[in-house]
Amino acid sequence: MPVTEPVLTRRIPTAPWGDPRDRRIIGYDEYVRTGGYETLRRALTMDPSSLVQTVKESELRGRGGAGFPCGLKWTFLPPPDGNRRYLAINCDEAEPGTFKDRLLCDYDPHLVLEGIAITCWACRLDTAYFFIRGEYHHQAKIVERAIREAYEKGVFGGRGLMQACDFKVDCHMHRGAGAYICGEETGLLEAVEGRRGWPRLKPPFPAVKGLFGRPTIVNNVETLAAVVPIVDRGAAWWKSMGTASSIGAPGSYGPKLMGVSGHVNRPGVYECDLGIPLRKLVDEFAGGMRAGRRFKGAIAGGVSMGILGPDQFDAEMDFDIGRRYDVMGLGTACPTIFDDQTDMVAVARNISRFFSNESCGQCTPCREGAQWMYRLLCRIEEGDATTKDLDLLNELAGSMGIIPGTTICGLADGHNWAVRTILNKYWAEFAGRVKPSYHGLTVSAGRADGVSSARIVGATGA
Amino acid sequence: MAWIVKPSATMKTPGRAEPYLTADHRAQYERDILPRYADRQGALLPILHDIQHRHHCIPWQAMREVAEFLGIAPSEVLDVVSFYEEFTTEDHRRGKYTIGICQSIACEVCGHPALLDHLRARLGIEPHETTDDGRFTLLAMECLGACEGAPCALINEDRHDNLTIERLDALLDRLP
Repeated sequence: MPVTEPVLTRRIPTAPWGDPRDRRIIGYDEYVRTGGYETLRRALTMDPSSLVQTVKESELRGRGGAGFPCGLKWTFLPPPDGNRRYLAINCDEAEPGTFKDRLLCDYDPHLVLEGIAITCWACRLDTAYFFIRGEYHHQAKIVERAIREAYEKGVFGGRGLMQACDFKVDCHMHRGAGAYICGEETGLLEAVEGRRGWPRLKPPFPAVKGLFGRPTIVNNVETLAAVVPIVDRGAAWWKSMGTASSIGAPGSYGPKLMGVSGHVNRPGVYECDLGIPLRKLVDEFAGGMRAGRRFKGAIAGGVSMGILGPDQFDAEMDFDIGRRYDVMGLGTACPTIFDDQTDMVAVARNISRFFSNESCGQCTPCREGAQWMYRLLCRIEEGDATTKDLDLLNELAGSMGIIPGTTICGLADGHNWAVRTILNKYWAEFAGRVKPSYHGLTVSAGRADGVSSARIVGATGA
Repeated sequence: MAWIVKPSATMKTPGRAEPYLTADHRAQYERDILPRYADRQGALLPILHDIQHRHHCIPWQAMREVAEFLGIAPSEVLDVVSFYEEFTTEDHRRGKYTIGICQSIACEVCGHPALLDHLRARLGIEPHETTDDGRFTLLAMECLGACEGAPCALINEDRHDNLTIERLDALLDRLP
């Protein structure tokens, strides 16, 4: 069933239900006036384990990119032992093409804070760190003000709402400082602990040993915002939206914020049901292709997911997209659309530059491989490469990441998938830019002494 | 993320008599920041943000003072400063205005290269350089998370969307 009313964007005017020009920051008073913090009030009267059960039944999958079932993650926590347990909120939205969490921080921060408070109650967590990327200066100020308001009104800090159930939650802002890798959950934890954001080896997983060596849940902003309507209206209602999996995988339920960018007429964040075809998202929500041009391809959801080719415009935007359309996955569901005048070699070069800049330097295959791939792609773009460089590129890309088992985190997998999918889906375009790498061979047959006289005549394409 | 290799045993770093972390700063950090974290090192990023904001760089001496204040080694502070792009050492002091042009994919296909070329010509510097008068630092940044407004740029802490060369010029002309 499609989404019939705005859920996460209830207070943020978004097409087709509202006009984005009417957007404004929803403060505490307005949030409460429109029914805010009622769900938290009700949740506090309920048994925490029943809340975890509700979220588990809703089959809410993480909105940060990996799509891991949120309720399942929560059940990995060990039972409380009286010491500190943490929630880390991942707002390090640095993946190129992704800008959906910014919408919630920009206009409705209290929805996220309510989700944080409910999650802390459900999982018995007492300290939350709102990790926001360094470049989100404006958003950090808005969220910080909202946190202050929430403290004053007794959402956090153990007075007011939480007092009755003898529970205290602290929520602190922690700003990143310009490192994409801090969006990786363990890199984020390192950054909160005041170190360089080098991802940790897993296991132990953060739920067992996370921040300061204590159990920690890491959730994306949108996931936490989705907890509020799920607890409010139940798992069955949530599952009435979205789509079941057609290939036997966990379903893709609920609405999802999708940020469309690139060559479309009305780029922006829209709230759609999971499973909406990309064509419909572009034509009905984003106003169609810019200047009436034809669709050439789209980044599935953040550059690390790879690309949807020219014949995949009808791909359904759900968590099965990876297996059905040969990309890594749905990612953050923020597609960047390219029209028919886009140079795909330049797209690959740009993405490769991003990953080579943002590789944290911890694992050699990623640190060195990223640089090599970027240089190779620059050479291909300048017309200075040969056919075998394309194979080398494929081989290099395929050698780095968690999937081939050579790195600690998934950053290199993102690079790997982005480059390989672009290369393979637009092979002709790449092949047209390179010189043939074979050496022409002339054989003068029929010599009287029977010795063949093979002669290398040099690269023919040069 | 740059890898800076320097002979640490013989490296001399500048300092000054007056401390960067005054008693007031220390008291403020103790009151506002340190209680948030389970150990003192947790406060490192917020403190570095504060210093970077005040001095447009993290001076070498400030790194030593922060290390002493938090009870960690100065090398651990440098470790963090050299990792994060927002923190810069004294020899890469940022200008009064830092102009960060987004160069990621949506901005590239919507025309950021023209903006960057224009700023190169206008300011006479390459990305990651600062003008001689210390007024402007030009950065080519990775995705600013505003792809719906591509091409976009950050000027200090303010983001500007849907930029054209004319709009960018007008913005720079208005800076005090």
